[in-house]
Amino acid sequence: MDDTRAARLIGTVLRCYPARWRRRHGDEAAELAALLVRDGTPAGSIACSYLAGAAREWLTPLPGRRLSAAACALLVAACALGVSTVLLAPPAPARAASTSQAKAASTSQAHCRTARCQPGPAVRVAGVISSVSHDLRAIISEAGHGQPW
Amino acid sequence: MAVGRRDGRAGQDVLRRVGEASVLILISLAGEPRHGYALIQDIKELAGVELGPGTLYGALDRLERLGLIESLPAEDRRHPYRITAPGAAALRVHLDSLERVSAAGRLRLRLSGT
Repeated sequence: MDDTRAARLIGTVLRCYPARWRRRHGDEAAELAALLVRDGTPAGSIACSYLAGAAREWLTPLPGRRLSAAACALLVAACALGVSTVLLAPPAPARAASTSQAKAASTSQAHCRTARCQPGPAVRVAGVISSVSHDLRAIISEAGHGQPW
Repeated sequence: MAVGRRDGRAGQDVLRRVGEASVLILISLAGEPRHGYALIQDIKELAGVELGPGTLYGALDRLERLGLIESLPAEDRRHPYRITAPGAAALRVHLDSLERVSAAGRLRLRLSGT
C-alpha cells in the first residue's frame, strides 16, 4: 500500500474517534501513524489498532456520563419489563376494563359458545417454551446424554 | 481524577488493574519524558512488546485521568508526557508487588524441583 492510500486509510479510521479525542490527539496520531508506516509497520494493522481504540473510546463511560448511562440502562430494563408483562398478561383483565362489562361478558360468552376460543398470548408463550424444552430433551436423550436434569 | 485524592491510602497497588500497556508506559516514562512514537520505540526495546497506537493513546488517556502522568506543552505536533510524583510512587508499589510475587514463584519452583 503506498503512502497516500495508507494516509487516507488512517485518516478515515481516525474520524471514527469522538471529536474531543480528535481535537486532542488527532494531528499527533496521524503523524505517529506516518512514522510507523515509514518504519515498515503495515498500515492495515495500524488502522485496526486505531479502530479498536476508537471503539474503546466510545464504549468507555466518562465520569460525567456514568449517571446518564445508568439512567439509560434503567429505562431499557423498564421497557423490557413492560414488554414481557404485556406478553405474559392474561387476556381476561384487559377485556374486563371495558365500561360495558356485562354486555362485553355476555358477548364474549356467546362468542365462545359459537366459535372455538383461541388461547391468549400467555398460553401461546408457555406452549412454545414447553415444546422447545421437550425437543431439547429429546435431542439430548438421542445423543446418549439422557441424564436427569 | 488523581489517584492521591481518590484513594488516599499509601502503598495501595493502583496499577494492578490498569493493564500491562499502562505499566510499560510508566516504566518508559520513568527514564525521561517521551512522546508517542518514542514511547513505542522504547517499549519495543525494553520489553519486546509492540504497542499499537490505539492501545497507546487509550493507556495515555487513562494514566492522565488518574493523575499518574501529565502532558507537557506540544513540540511541533507531538505531546511529550512526563510521569508525575503519584505516578512514580504507584509504579514503585507495583514493581515491589511484582517482585514479591516473582520471588514466591521462584521459591516454589525451587522447592518443588521442577
